[in-house]
Amino acid sequence: MEHTEPKTKNWYDKYHKYIMVFPLLLFVICLIYLFNFNSQHGEVIYKDVSLTGGTIITIQGSFDSQNLESKLKEKFNDIRTRTITELTTSKNLAVIIESQEKPETLKAEIENILDIQLTQENSSIEFSGPSLGESFYKQLMTALIISFILMSLVIFLLFRSFVPSIAVIFAAFADIVMPLALLNYLGISLSAAGIAAFLMLIGYSVDTDILLTTRVIKKREGTVNQRIYSSFKTGIFMTVTALIAVLPAFFLITGLPDSFRQIFLILALGLFADIINTWLMNASMIKWYAESRRID
Amino acid sequence: MAKLTLRIWILIIAIVLALLMISPNFSSGVIVTSIDINSTAYEQGLRQGMKIDEINSIKIFSREDYFNALSNIFKEEKEVKVEIISENQAIIFLAKDPPALAIGETPKSKIKTGLDLSGGARAVVRAENRSISDAEISDLVSITSERLNAFGLKDTTVKSAKDLDRNNYMVIEIAGATQKDISYLLESQGKFEAKIGNKTVFVGGQDKDVRDVCRNDASCAGVNSCSPVQEGFFCNFAFTVYLSQEAAERHAEITNEFPLDETGQYLTEKLILIIDDREVDSLLISSGLQGQATTQISIQGSGSGPSQEEAIKNARSQMKKLQTVLLTGSLPYKLEVVKLDAISPTLGKEFTKNIMFLGLFVFLGVSVAIFIRYRKIKVSLSVILTMFSEVFITLGLAALFKWNLDAPSIAGIIAGMGTGVNDQIIIIDEAILRKDSSSSESVKQRVKRALFIIFGAFLTIIAAMLPLFWAGAGLLKGFALTTIIGVSVGIFITRPAFADIIKKLEG
Repeated sequence: MEHTEPKTKNWYDKYHKYIMVFPLLLFVICLIYLFNFNSQHGEVIYKDVSLTGGTIITIQGSFDSQNLESKLKEKFNDIRTRTITELTTSKNLAVIIESQEKPETLKAEIENILDIQLTQENSSIEFSGPSLGESFYKQLMTALIISFILMSLVIFLLFRSFVPSIAVIFAAFADIVMPLALLNYLGISLSAAGIAAFLMLIGYSVDTDILLTTRVIKKREGTVNQRIYSSFKTGIFMTVTALIAVLPAFFLITGLPDSFRQIFLILALGLFADIINTWLMNASMIKWYAESRRID
Repeated sequence: MAKLTLRIWILIIAIVLALLMISPNFSSGVIVTSIDINSTAYEQGLRQGMKIDEINSIKIFSREDYFNALSNIFKEEKEVKVEIISENQAIIFLAKDPPALAIGETPKSKIKTGLDLSGGARAVVRAENRSISDAEISDLVSITSERLNAFGLKDTTVKSAKDLDRNNYMVIEIAGATQKDISYLLESQGKFEAKIGNKTVFVGGQDKDVRDVCRNDASCAGVNSCSPVQEGFFCNFAFTVYLSQEAAERHAEITNEFPLDETGQYLTEKLILIIDDREVDSLLISSGLQGQATTQISIQGSGSGPSQEEAIKNARSQMKKLQTVLLTGSLPYKLEVVKLDAISPTLGKEFTKNIMFLGLFVFLGVSVAIFIRYRKIKVSLSVILTMFSEVFITLGLAALFKWNLDAPSIAGIIAGMGTGVNDQIIIIDEAILRKDSSSSESVKQRVKRALFIIFGAFLTIIAAMLPLFWAGAGLLKGFALTTIIGVSVGIFITRPAFADIIKKLEG
């Protein structure tokens, strides 16, 4: 057993570098989309009224929300409505109306259309001033960047070698870019809580990358391929349990606060992106690195 | 029976402490959340925090019961006898109108939920067109809390918040209050006036007419006499206010305009104390003060209560309110409400219910996944137990520190359930399942590597969430806090215990 180098290369040995093309391509497409989006809208996301300033009114009960929406749209041009339905009974729980109008104006108009009195018992009114919304947005974006830098520092401290650290950090970056592009594509406007979810995503998405990198560069048993495969088995199960925690909020129990659902939506998208970025991208990069450094 | 290790004991103790902190309560009923101290019910002994069991022999289990009972009792416009049974004590009084008190349902535990789940109003305030310094914000917070109390609003929290740009904000939260209440409160920023007839003698504020107000000095401020009255006790307080020369002269001029009353002791007109155009007190002006350019005046007032102790307490709090507004006057800057939320408690209740279902569902889902993956009852059960302990201890800490868990905070906890088991999965996969494979590595090396991964993941989540403590006036702090606490509990309490449990099971 002098030579540990395998005589025949399996498909992974042959193709791992080409596998990277898929996540890279996806990443580049998303990045271009975001740049394009940014030049069109001046922002990198759609902001909801918690970030632009404005009013959110939630009215409990079942209403003809379509009628309400169209009537409100005659008066105000930036109305958005959504309904919260209970999935099991598909009963309407509440209607959410968003606009950049002042709460008094919007409330009076809704009362007029629905012919009801909006009270603290049947409705919630949330108002954010435009200046606060703007400063929230700026700060959360700053927080996002700081968060990313801090995470990167931790990764460098952990691995103390350039290529593996950059591979992890790149995966974390792609984990943000891909969900962000998808959210924009779907036209979902983000709230303050939604941006906060991205910070959480930065923290959680690197779990599997740390696992993979540690096993490949610090483990001494098995081949690199075996170590990658064993990391994959553990890592994918970690992602599955995380998905089990965030997915039911969409498919089973839907009568939840908006801030809550948005956090879970972003985490779910991030976890899916992480599967691609960890196992197609980071794994190939670390294999490449291990082989060039003759780690075995 | 295997001997329990220290780490397992720590886990057990943490769980017991968390249980004590949360102190779940399975009884149902309503409690008094605030009561007007001038009401008959208060005189008869009903206090904030007391549980209402029965009203006129109707058992009360919920808010609905309470309101139904009252609407039955006060159907007609006449005086009726009301008998409230509270904690084996009967409180009986006659009344024409429902008692002036606010009620809430008995909390099911000491865990407090945020405004978005429990309902209430919140305002984020800053100064208009200028920034508030650190010293100013702490003054603003204390003045505002004093004033909220003065206006009789209970269950309020007023705190300052600083954001990443180092701006100071004041955040006010009031359970059960409406948007109207809170905007009224903020518009009224404590304009203090003392009038005789309709002439202003002096206004509050050290920059205006008041030079100083005697506080915390028994020689010039305090409750000085108490006397029993028909329905309890009555206590007087007095404190000295030092006026500016201008105000003193105004006082001389105005008091000269009014005659003495028939006893000859006092002026016919009283000195009326007005806060934000609302009369709060009126004081008799003794004849000796008439026409005097006095720079020192004594402001007197009273407080009453069913016992002497309570009367003193009320008198003191009355005094404090007056001292505060006199000293602070109206704020030198105008406030701007930059965020104002009024959340309906009814929808919040629905949300809370759904979140609990979701939590349960996630717990079951993750448990099933663990079983399917490991197919070992003991190992799977210990993972599930650890996951449960982690959530439970986090909730216990939330109850201990009286955090208000809002929707994002709970989202942090639930999302944490899915990732909290990661540590356990890594330990099992890294160090236990493969221990009998023909390996060149010692168990020690593998455990070391598992810990490296776990600590690495722990540090990244802390690093990533840390900036949220400051961004956005701290409104998303709860989310960062529960996440960080959750992973910390995981790494320092449940993970070490889990490692020992696994050793024993496999041992």
